[in-house]
Amino acid sequence: MSDQDVRGALLAVPVPDELEAQRRAWRVVSAAHAGREPLPRRSRGLRPLLALAFLAALVAAALSPPGRAVGDWIRDRVAGEENAEPALVRLPAAGRLLVVSDRGPWVVRRDGSKRFLGRYEDASFSPSGSFVVVTAGRRVVAVEPDGDPRWTVTRPAPVADARWAPSGFRVAYRAGETLRVVVANGEGDRLLAEDVAAVAPAWRPQPAERNVLAYAGADGRVHVVDVDTRRELSVARPPAPAEKLVWSDDGQILLVVTTGGRHPLYGGGPRFPRELRTPGLDILDAELEPGTRTVAYTTFEARSGRSTVWLGPERLQTAEGRLDEVVFSPDGRWLLAGWPEADQLLFLPLRGREGIVAVDDVRREFDPGGATVPGFPRLVGWCCP
Amino acid sequence: MAGDGRDERAWVRGAQAGSASDLEALFRAHWPRAYRAAYLVVHDAAGAEDVAQEAFLAAVRALDRFDSNRPFGPWLHRIVVNRAIDWARARALRREVGADEAVATAHAPEAGDVAARPSEDVLAALASLAPDHRAVIVLRYLLEYSPGEISRILELPRGTVNSRLRRGLDSLQGLVREEESE
Repeated sequence: MSDQDVRGALLAVPVPDELEAQRRAWRVVSAAHAGREPLPRRSRGLRPLLALAFLAALVAAALSPPGRAVGDWIRDRVAGEENAEPALVRLPAAGRLLVVSDRGPWVVRRDGSKRFLGRYEDASFSPSGSFVVVTAGRRVVAVEPDGDPRWTVTRPAPVADARWAPSGFRVAYRAGETLRVVVANGEGDRLLAEDVAAVAPAWRPQPAERNVLAYAGADGRVHVVDVDTRRELSVARPPAPAEKLVWSDDGQILLVVTTGGRHPLYGGGPRFPRELRTPGLDILDAELEPGTRTVAYTTFEARSGRSTVWLGPERLQTAEGRLDEVVFSPDGRWLLAGWPEADQLLFLPLRGREGIVAVDDVRREFDPGGATVPGFPRLVGWCCP
Repeated sequence: MAGDGRDERAWVRGAQAGSASDLEALFRAHWPRAYRAAYLVVHDAAGAEDVAQEAFLAAVRALDRFDSNRPFGPWLHRIVVNRAIDWARARALRREVGADEAVATAHAPEAGDVAARPSEDVLAALASLAPDHRAVIVLRYLLEYSPGEISRILELPRGTVNSRLRRGLDSLQGLVREEESE
């Protein structure tokens, strides 16, 4: 086989969808080119006005209801971990952390650098972390990790809970009371289901080439559907409405956290559902450990006002107040928990000899320069080393 | 076909100045080979489209910094091929799809049909290689870079490029021979 034979064969390989791909790409590329503009120059004449506006904002913050909320929050704050880092300057494991603050979503890199993605309400990573899909009002937007928009879908109804399929080729989202799916280049948007509950849909991770989605109906039932064939694979009715759906990495277990936090269910196939019982404790959040079917969850005991983080039967951490959310590091070695009352993040080591890593001043970290004390950010995902 | 050097420099300067028609000329000249190169490395049409499109977007974003006296192709191909390798590796790591296996299965020629479909033999053989090895083959035989240029594009030692070329070509020829003998 000569060099020319190889070249001829490479040129003869039929490349699917070549012209359509070119047409779609040109639309995106030409739009990006048309949108190029020089960096705006700041007018010096505006500075006194900006300073006045800032002063006015400070005064307003002190007098307004949010301003009063600052005082309440300071009084309610509990003592966190003593040796907490003063700021989030490094993640203890590889990957990027996605959080959503009052301002919008932020991507935090391993070295602690943070990128604000824009004024969006919700966000989640694409499977390889190359993109983040965000929602705002009536728009679903795919953005690059530096915040550059890639494509947008606009619906007449408010949208939420956009989630990217593990295949990389589909994005599901809620629009009003419907569930819709769009091809991951922003085209081919279509209705998948009506009368759905306000719960984020969850894609089954394996087998990734099949686009299988779990979602909660408004009637309380949980459906598992093959999106491409529209075939319903299973349906179950938990004892209380679902609040969160989580698949195990192998796609065999679907964890359903239910309203009220008393009945998280997990199951798959004929054994679905089984119930995880936590008598006397409210479950605040739950996740499945990467590569296993072990449930990590946080419980809150109203009598003592204390929270506990569990990994299966193992108690990892107890704290005053609520440990709100848990997120695993991509390598499964750390469990990150949010602690709003202490304004701290807790990185809990699951293996090895490392100690707990606590980070302080989290609210301000994701609202730099804000005049009021912002809400505690939501921990959305930790992805892709 | 990419335009000659003079055309291309004019298109780059025009695109830098904001001309959509010059950008389109540049895009039309380079898209087919960029997309084909990406497809031959990632073996997935949607993935190739993403990779090639991202490469052009990266080029548009960096357009103001680009020296219009330099050829545009190698600059673009460097982005395309490196992103394609990253894409294919990430996909393999995540086990999203057994990409190589799937493609090998999809394109494996049926017995008795080999001579009629030489390009499918090559594609199936290519699928058996690691993504970075595929990239070397694509850069050498599709995009026609010399081993020295490939070593600069992939930031690999020249010897590594040569050995990957040799091994890649051996695998291709071996597989094609194997199939021909069936």
